[in-house]
Amino acid sequence: MRPDLGRLLARYLLLGVGVLLLNFLIPRLLPGNPLSFSGGEGTDAAVPLSGAARAQLRAYYNLDEPLRLQFVRYLGDLGRGDLGWSIARPAPVREVILDRLPWTVALLLAALLFAAVVGTTLGVVAGWMPGGIRDRLLVSTAGALAAIPEFLIAIGLLLVFAVELGLFPLFGGRTVFADRDFGATGVARHAADVVWHLTLPAAALVLVNASGFLLLARDATVGVRHAPWLTAARAKGLRERDVARRHAVPNIALPLLTFFGLRLGAVLGGALVIERVFGVPGLGLLGYEAIRARDYPVLQALFLVSSVGVLAANLLMEIAYLRLACHRGQTRG
Amino acid sequence: MPVPSLTRRHALQGVAGAMTALALPRTAPVGSGAGRAADAPVRFAWWSDVGTPTPFQVSTVGPGGAVLLSLLYDTLTWKDAAGIIPWLAAAWETSPDGRAYTFHLVDGATWHDGRPLTAADIAFSFDYYARHPYRWMTTEVVETATVVGEAAVRVALKRPSAAFLENIAGVVPIIPRHVWEPVVDPTAYTGADRSIGSGPFALAEHDQTQGAYRLLAHEGYWRGRPLVPEWQQIAVPAEASVRVVQQGEADVSLSTDASVRDLLAGDPRLEVLETAPLSIVRLAINTARPPLDRREVRQAIAHALDRGQIAETLTRGPAIVGSAGVVPPETPWHNPSLPQYDHNPDRARDLLGGQRYTIDLIADTNAREPDLMAPMLEAVGITLNVQRVDPPTRAQLLGDGAFQLALTSHIGVGGDPDYLRRWYAGEEANAFAQGSIFRHEKYARLGREQEVALELEARRALVFAMQEILAEELPTIVLYHRRFSWVYDPGAFTPMETWGGLLNGVPFPNNKLALLAT
Repeated sequence: MRPDLGRLLARYLLLGVGVLLLNFLIPRLLPGNPLSFSGGEGTDAAVPLSGAARAQLRAYYNLDEPLRLQFVRYLGDLGRGDLGWSIARPAPVREVILDRLPWTVALLLAALLFAAVVGTTLGVVAGWMPGGIRDRLLVSTAGALAAIPEFLIAIGLLLVFAVELGLFPLFGGRTVFADRDFGATGVARHAADVVWHLTLPAAALVLVNASGFLLLARDATVGVRHAPWLTAARAKGLRERDVARRHAVPNIALPLLTFFGLRLGAVLGGALVIERVFGVPGLGLLGYEAIRARDYPVLQALFLVSSVGVLAANLLMEIAYLRLACHRGQTRG
Repeated sequence: MPVPSLTRRHALQGVAGAMTALALPRTAPVGSGAGRAADAPVRFAWWSDVGTPTPFQVSTVGPGGAVLLSLLYDTLTWKDAAGIIPWLAAAWETSPDGRAYTFHLVDGATWHDGRPLTAADIAFSFDYYARHPYRWMTTEVVETATVVGEAAVRVALKRPSAAFLENIAGVVPIIPRHVWEPVVDPTAYTGADRSIGSGPFALAEHDQTQGAYRLLAHEGYWRGRPLVPEWQQIAVPAEASVRVVQQGEADVSLSTDASVRDLLAGDPRLEVLETAPLSIVRLAINTARPPLDRREVRQAIAHALDRGQIAETLTRGPAIVGSAGVVPPETPWHNPSLPQYDHNPDRARDLLGGQRYTIDLIADTNAREPDLMAPMLEAVGITLNVQRVDPPTRAQLLGDGAFQLALTSHIGVGGDPDYLRRWYAGEEANAFAQGSIFRHEKYARLGREQEVALELEARRALVFAMQEILAEELPTIVLYHRRFSWVYDPGAFTPMETWGGLLNGVPFPNNKLALLAT
């Protein structure tokens, strides 16, 4: 396994270098530029910036340099751990990203893990007796959920649970300027406040993602439920639940793991919509604002975080894959 | 008959409609202004985070940042409901040639850290802005600023500027010399004192993650302690902005949907302030490209469009049809005697002389105007080819002159009318000015003359004449003017309208005067 792992790491290192170049180029390939001051949502303002001041800003942000020089500067800054300054709202990009990262990670990891567990469990239940009432009900529901765009699910939840019933807040990640109390009860209260704010966005993400796990797990289960090793397990006198949990699930784990990795890679895109609808101050909302403002340094940093995240997730998946394949080879061999 | 297909844009518009539903009243109002504690903060909901509140780090994407700064920082002059008033400058004299102003500083002004505000701070501010521009307003016309007495500053201009008192003296924040003098790079400055101003409120807390700001009353304020002990500005998605006021999570918020007044008519707690129509929705026209280089074609478009219907449909309120001279009605510089273009398809066909045209229109992805315009233009022989893009893309296309028609909506047309000159002189850096392509010798001359005309009536005549040329030549067609509807709890805050809009034409209700004793 060690040579495989070495090759894997080398491949990912090369990929990382390519990704850096793309991270730099993609924002600059978009039409428009960060100094167009095209305004916010709905209330664009007329900013009377003189040509001289505009030129000064271009020079300040090195936008007047040739692309290759900008790229060299970007690599140099990156080497020093400097992600640059946001142009739309001048602030260190590293600070902005670090402020937002925990929200997205907490929201997405929790939602994705929950979706994976719930979706897989229900998928195995459905696939264990295909064609039964539970199977038809679960597959129909999952199919319907998969067909609804995530923003509609999000808006639906918001309308019902926040607007109509008033059970959850309309926006945000926490109550702003809540009482400062960092004692044990204060921390617990703040944690509860965050959970209260993130419940609806997390629920939306679970609904969006669970159906994929369910359908995949269901099909995989249908494929293995008559496999000889399951018959052997039954012959040993194991209960059906144990047969499914201890023998079927490990054998359908590979495609599910792959799917988990793929979803993890796509989460930033998913976060953009969900965070925008619920006003969660995460990387998705930041990305939405940065794209509208063509804020190159923020976009570069977001792409970097996202691509490093995807690469890391895929690397972990591949390592897990190697280990699972080994394990399966041993258990089935 | 062709069946309209469901496109991605239709889906997005559906989402926008669903999001709008959040703004509509659904349940009984919560809470009551009468029950408010005396020290309760006033919470102002705005649509986005506005960056770090210093003149060098605040966001200029939208007006929320510049208006927030006006509570933290003072300016030499200010505006009330009737016009320009003295502020940090208790009085001023203008030199006979209009190229110099001597400002006399008000007594007792202090910075938030307790230090006195001096004439040296004012001179320093203009000097510093010359090296580090304030993004919201250029001070390019200022040549020097010199201390000329214990409490007086002489500001010399490169040329006379009729807009100086409103657009620069009334907009540019005066900054503390003791904070900024040692700072070489104000964009990257992170010192704890970076938001120290001399305004009625001092920054107590900035929650960067949530885009929320907590301002406390400046106890030593020279105009007296503000009536409101604490002001908060919180970022709320536009779709939820009315709803948060209804649910008592904010006290003031904006809606661009005029129907909110009717929808809240029965609400015992909330009221709505409709500002003067300082927001404008218009077509920028590339007058250098055929067929729009022909005035008749531009006039035909104006006659073909039923702008009243477009306005009523989209604002869901009484239509304010666009003035052909751009300057909105109900504002100080509006020329009420201009020829207008009523909806007259026959006249449009006459002007086109039986010719048929296909014209490209650049519009934002969620703009609904093109859907209403297309059949109206088609009826007179103009096929509209709509290209939907996001705002930065639109800005680039306009900047490159790669467009025929472009739909834009913005504010900044209520204040000093020098923008009529700047748009077409290439002196503004925003997307709208970039799309202003119009060569007209007399118009340019009038623009230069009004820029330096210091006598009010003489300047008014020049600005009115510029509007007459705009109305005749139509280098831009204003579809309609929009009011902003501010939903507020009168138990918490009494909004006020400002002459020509706050600063350089911003229709916000939180003029600092509304927060001070008269």
